[in-house]
Amino acid sequence: MQNLRRASQGIFLLIFLFLFIQTESKGADELGYPVKFFLDFDPLIFITTLLSSHSVQKAFYLSVIVIIITLLLGRVFCGWACPLGTLNNITGSFSKRRRNAPSVNWNRAKYYILIFLLASSLFTMQLTGIVDPISLLIRSLSVSIYPLFNLSIASAFDSAYNSGPKGIVEITEPIYAVLKNNLLAFAQPYFLQSAFIGAIFLFILGLNLYEKRFWCRHLCPLGALLGILSRYSLLRREVSEGCNECGACASVCQGGAHPDTRGKWMPSECLYCRNCDDICPQKAVFFGFGKKENVLGTDLRRRHVIASAMGGVMVVPLLRTAPLSMPVNLSPQLIRPPGSLEEREFLKRCVKCGECMKVCITNGLQPSFLEAGLEGIWSPMLVPRIGYCEFRCTLCGQVCPTGAIKKLSQNEKASVKIGLAVIDKSRCLPHAHATPCIVCEEVCPTPKKAVWFEKAEVRGRGGELITLQQPRVDISLCIGCGICETKCPVQGMPAIYVINAGESRSEYNRLLL
Amino acid sequence: MNRRKFIKIAGIGGIGISFPACLDHLFTPAYSAEPDLAVASGSSAKAITKAAVDALGGMKSFISKGDIVVVKPNMAWDRLPEQAANTNPHVVAEIVRLCIEAGAKKVRVFDRTVNDPRRCYIQSGIKEAVEEAGGTAEYVDERRFKNVKINGVAIKEWPLYTEILEADKVINVPILKHHGLAKVTMSMKNWMGIMGSDRSRIHQKLDQSLVDVSSFVKPSLTVLDAVRVLAANGPQGGDLSDVKTVNAVIAGRDQVAVDSYGAALFGVNGSEIGYVRLAAEQGHGVMELEKLNIRKISL
Repeated sequence: MQNLRRASQGIFLLIFLFLFIQTESKGADELGYPVKFFLDFDPLIFITTLLSSHSVQKAFYLSVIVIIITLLLGRVFCGWACPLGTLNNITGSFSKRRRNAPSVNWNRAKYYILIFLLASSLFTMQLTGIVDPISLLIRSLSVSIYPLFNLSIASAFDSAYNSGPKGIVEITEPIYAVLKNNLLAFAQPYFLQSAFIGAIFLFILGLNLYEKRFWCRHLCPLGALLGILSRYSLLRREVSEGCNECGACASVCQGGAHPDTRGKWMPSECLYCRNCDDICPQKAVFFGFGKKENVLGTDLRRRHVIASAMGGVMVVPLLRTAPLSMPVNLSPQLIRPPGSLEEREFLKRCVKCGECMKVCITNGLQPSFLEAGLEGIWSPMLVPRIGYCEFRCTLCGQVCPTGAIKKLSQNEKASVKIGLAVIDKSRCLPHAHATPCIVCEEVCPTPKKAVWFEKAEVRGRGGELITLQQPRVDISLCIGCGICETKCPVQGMPAIYVINAGESRSEYNRLLL
Repeated sequence: MNRRKFIKIAGIGGIGISFPACLDHLFTPAYSAEPDLAVASGSSAKAITKAAVDALGGMKSFISKGDIVVVKPNMAWDRLPEQAANTNPHVVAEIVRLCIEAGAKKVRVFDRTVNDPRRCYIQSGIKEAVEEAGGTAEYVDERRFKNVKINGVAIKEWPLYTEILEADKVINVPILKHHGLAKVTMSMKNWMGIMGSDRSRIHQKLDQSLVDVSSFVKPSLTVLDAVRVLAANGPQGGDLSDVKTVNAVIAGRDQVAVDSYGAALFGVNGSEIGYVRLAAEQGHGVMELEKLNIRKISL
C-alpha cells in the first residue's frame, strides 16, 4: 500500500506543480490549461465562499467529488492527494524522530479554526484563504518559493555566462534554454512581502521536524472539514483478535489517530495512509466497508466550540470598524485587477490564493498588506511602478477560482476603469523642465489615447522661446492601466501615476458625473 | 532587375545565349542603373515585398552565402496585424524566406518590445510567420546588451543588442505609422528596438538620437511596410478606423531616402520630419526625392 500511496501522492504533486508552472502567459489570450484545478476541488473554499457571498462558481461543484470520496473512503484526500500534505510528508521524512506519535495534543485546534472560519464566513467575512492549504500553498509558491527558486537557478547560469571559464557557456546556455522553456519563469518575478509569506510557509514545513504532519494533524481547516465527514465514511479500519497491542502501528501513523489502542482509533484523524495495515506484524489490521465498530469521535470541548464560533462572529465587526471600511476612499493605491467586483463583494470572495499574481504578465499584481485592511491581507493590488495592466490581457479573471475577479472578454476589459492616471507637474519633464518627453502618450493603449498633448510655449532660462507638447490626461478615456507610470522616465517617484479614483466597479469611488 | 528579366532582355539582344548565366551580374549595370528606391504596390504583401527587393537586384545582391542575418521588424506592441502597429507578418516572413533562399545561414528576428514580449511576438503574428519561413524569433535576452561607442552627436555610448553587432548583414523591416513626437515613425526610429537600458530618455533629443543610432547600424537593406498604415493614434493605435490600406512596400539601401519617401506617402515632406532632415544634413543619406532614381512596380 505504501508504494501505491506514494505514487498517488507523487502524481498529484506533479500535476499540481505542472499546473502551477503553466500559470504563465505564453503570449496567447488563454493559458490552455485548467490551472486553478486544485482550488476547484477544495470543498472548504466552496462552502465558505457560498456562506460569505451566497454565490458559487460552477467549477466548485467539482469539490462535491471530494466530499463524496471522503464519505466513502475517509480522508484519502489528505493522505493520498493533497499537495501540501505530500510536501509535509517529504519534509517530515527528514526528521530524525523515528516515531510518528503526537508530541502535542492539539489536534482539536484545527476544528476550532474551521469553526472560526465557518462562523466568520456566515457573517460575510472570507478569511479562509489565509489558512486554506491549497490557497496557502499556491500563494506561498507564487509569491515566494518560485521566485526564490527562479532567482537561484538564473543567477547560477548568469554567473557562468558572465564570468565562467571560456567555453562553459557552450554547455550551460543550452541547458539554461531548456530550463527557461519548461521550468523557469519568463522573467524573474518580484513580490512584496515575499520573505514574510515565504517564512510562514517554511515555518509550516519546519513544524514537521518537530512532529511529522504537524500542519495536517493540528492546524489544517480543510483536514478538519474532511475529518468531520470522515467520521461517517463507509471505509472503516478494523482490528482483529490477533492484535496484541504491540504499538507498531502507532509509530507509523501519519494522522496521529491512535491506531494502537482498541476502540480509540479516530477516523477523523486517520489519513487512510494504510501504514498500520502494512506494518502490523500480526496482520490484524483490515480496512473494509460496512462493518460497524464503535469509533471515537472528535471530543471537542463545548466551551472551545462556542469560543471559536463567537470569535469568528466577532472578528467581523472587529476588522470592519477600521477607518478603511468607512465610505471614504482612504487607500488610493488600492488598485484592484480589472474585472474585480465592488470592494465588499470582492473581499467576500477573494481567498488570496495568488493565482492572479502568478499569472499577471507584467508582475504588477502584488499581495496587499494593509491597504485593504487586515480582512484583505494578501489580496491582489496593482502596483504600476512594478508592472502595469496589459491592455489586451485578461488572464487574472481567467484564473480566479471564486469569481472575485470576473472573467472579462477583451472588449469588456477595454472599457473597465481600474483607476486614473494623474500627472505631477512638478516632476514631469515637459511641464516642469521644458524638456520634451512623450513616453506616457506613446505607451497609452486606449484606441483614442487618454494621454494627449497641449502645445505650450514656455521661456527657457535665457529667455528663449521653447515650443513643446505637455501631456494631459483625458479623465473620460483613462482606464488606469498604469503603463504610463511603469514607463515614466522619472525614476523613483514617477511624474504620472495611478490612483483608484473613478474605478468602474465602485458606485462610490466615481469621479465624473 | 532580376536574373529572369536579364535573360529575357539579353535574349532579345541576341547575346544571352553566348554567356553562361552565372556571368550575368557582370552585365547588369550596363543595362540600367539600379534604382535607389523600389516601390511595389499590389494586394499581396508577399508578392510586393519580393518585387521590391527584386527591383533592387534581388536578395542575392544583399546576402552572401553563409551570412548570419538580422531582420528587424517593428513588433513592439501587443496588437493584431490588422491594427497596423507592428510590421506586417507577411512582409517580414517574405524577407526571411528570401534571405534563406539567397543562402543565409541563419536569420534572426527580434525586437525589444514595449508591451510584454510574449504577447507582442505572438499577437503580431510575426513569430509564427518567421518560424514558418525558416527564421528564428527569439525573445530579447537582457544580458546580451553591450555598451557600444556610437560617437554620435546626442548619444556617445549606449548598450545595443549583441545580435546586431555580430550579424553579417542587417535588414530593417519597419512599418509606416503615426507617432506623437516624431510625427511619422519608419525605419530610423525602428532602431530603438535594439537599444537596451532606459531608452525612453532619448525622447528628450529624439531626432538627433535616432540619427546617431541608425547611422551607426547602417543596414544593408531597408524594407518599409506600407501595406496597412496607421494614420493616427500611433504608434500603437487600436482603432481600425485609423488604419488605411495602402498596399505598398518601399525598399532601398539608403534608410534616409526610404524614410523620406515614406513621409511623402504619409502626406508630409521628408524635410518636415526632424530626423530625416538631420540625417540628410549630416550626410547619412539623400532626402530629396527628385534626386532619387525611384522605380515603381505595380502588381
